[in-house]
Amino acid sequence: MTSNFFAPEIETASRERIRALQLEKLKNQVAWAYDRVPWYKARFQERGLTPADIRSLADIARLPFTDKQVLRDTYPYGLCAVPLDDVLRLHSSSGTTGKPIVIGFNQHDLDIWSDCVARMVAMVGVTRADRVQMAFGYGMFTGGFGLHYGCEKLGCMIVPAGSGNTERHLMMIEDYKTTVLISTPSYALHMCEVGEAHGVDWRASSLRVGLFGGEPCTPGLKREIECRMHIVCTDNYGLTELSGPGVGGECLHSREHNHIAEDQFLWEIIDPHTGEPLPEGSEGELVLSTLDRQAFPMLRYRTHDLTTITTEPCACGRTHARMAKVRARTDDMLIVRGTNIFPTQVEDALSVIQGVTPHYRIVLDNETGLDRMTVMVELKPEAISDSFEEMDRFRHHVVDRLRQTLLVTPVVKLIEPKGIERSFGKSKRVEDRRAKL
Amino acid sequence: MAVTQISVFAENLPGHLRRILDVLELAGINVHGFLAADTGDCGIVRFVLDQPELGLTVLQNAGHAATRTEVLCVRLPDKPGELARVLGVIADAGINVVYSYSLISTLIAIHVKDIAATEAVLRHQPIELVSQNDMVW
Repeated sequence: MTSNFFAPEIETASRERIRALQLEKLKNQVAWAYDRVPWYKARFQERGLTPADIRSLADIARLPFTDKQVLRDTYPYGLCAVPLDDVLRLHSSSGTTGKPIVIGFNQHDLDIWSDCVARMVAMVGVTRADRVQMAFGYGMFTGGFGLHYGCEKLGCMIVPAGSGNTERHLMMIEDYKTTVLISTPSYALHMCEVGEAHGVDWRASSLRVGLFGGEPCTPGLKREIECRMHIVCTDNYGLTELSGPGVGGECLHSREHNHIAEDQFLWEIIDPHTGEPLPEGSEGELVLSTLDRQAFPMLRYRTHDLTTITTEPCACGRTHARMAKVRARTDDMLIVRGTNIFPTQVEDALSVIQGVTPHYRIVLDNETGLDRMTVMVELKPEAISDSFEEMDRFRHHVVDRLRQTLLVTPVVKLIEPKGIERSFGKSKRVEDRRAKL
Repeated sequence: MAVTQISVFAENLPGHLRRILDVLELAGINVHGFLAADTGDCGIVRFVLDQPELGLTVLQNAGHAATRTEVLCVRLPDKPGELARVLGVIADAGINVVYSYSLISTLIAIHVKDIAATEAVLRHQPIELVSQNDMVW
């Protein structure tokens, strides 16, 4: 089986050529950030560095790290390296204190982004003959627009249905004979089940490939969807801060890895505790730098994702390094229905609601096929009422406030005063019961 | 004239009601009636007690979320039609019964928004209202 290539020349370039290209681009990217973003310039100066100090790829280790906090501190435009007039689009992910993380793209960035996505989509055998059904939500989330324009660049027909309305999705698959489904894996499973209940024969369906994202996709979940929907299930790697999808994707020869688009992203693996670089093959935290980003250059961005990377040749013919699928993080971020959630967000939201204490527990499950987040909220004695109606109204109020902060609608359970154990460490406040299929 | 009802916030889990009742028993408090309905995950269990103030104190001291509410208490003659008659009087006065439940014997507890107004309505009828002081048996 030969995989398809969107940009074969760069995707199969020699390691030497990739390294040379990376160094050239890194120098430019560093100078670009230094010259145009006061925040970067100040950090360089603190270390007595100028862009001229970057002479080899290893020199990147001399630069300071960036992380979500930097984007929060400089929110919204502090890291922007181009005039705002040139920014064509903003995307964001939810933040921990109500303020999201936001990044902008100019035309150059959008072109590169859609190239990277087109490559990643082609990597799993999608071609311009495919008809792609989009079940990601559009909006601020990078997944919807990112995949949309990437698929369009590849030449696919897109059915931009958006998220929700499962029965309409099923009708579109049937009527428009779509061949590729883009969704979260849990939504695909839900769609599969609803389809089965409506008598859909997935074996006879036109659908052949699933491109999943927005939430972790375990091998077991992939297998289950593959067996029931009779499609090839794939996932990929990306994060909002570095443009969203397109940072890496799996090829059909190396299903447990993602090829990183190395001409656009420079990877490092570091010890998450010391920040020191680790040799190739070690497990550690993935740190990524953009190599050709104009609006929001990101240098040494700490992803908090734990992985290992190999540059061993891949049977698909691609020479770009492969990172193992991420199975763990170095922080307590949760991904619920594709939305990033930090437990501290729950705490922040509760702290401004009268009648509840800041004590909470989060239980995640997927008994119904979709992620469900239950937040146990402890009442203050004065919030106790004799009226069920009032208690229920209060519960809805808590749901609304949490939804505004988390961008996910949780189930809220009211717990009596002192009903939540105080001894819970931070990690014990979260119980993830989601089946790791 | 109204009697004091103690409402306790209770999680819908095995053993919660039992823990509440253990606290009452230990304090020598008698339960004359209670209402526990299927109100979802978190419910409110309501009690009419012989010593409501003591009950409230011991429950709160034991860590339970308890509050005090007023309810009207009526003793019905034990014969057909009496419940209909009493509730009919309230209905005819245009008053909505928020909830009601039966206690020991033929006593019933009735909760309405305006206790005093409803009490006045009932007083004009041959209906026996029971006070807190009458609640010791």
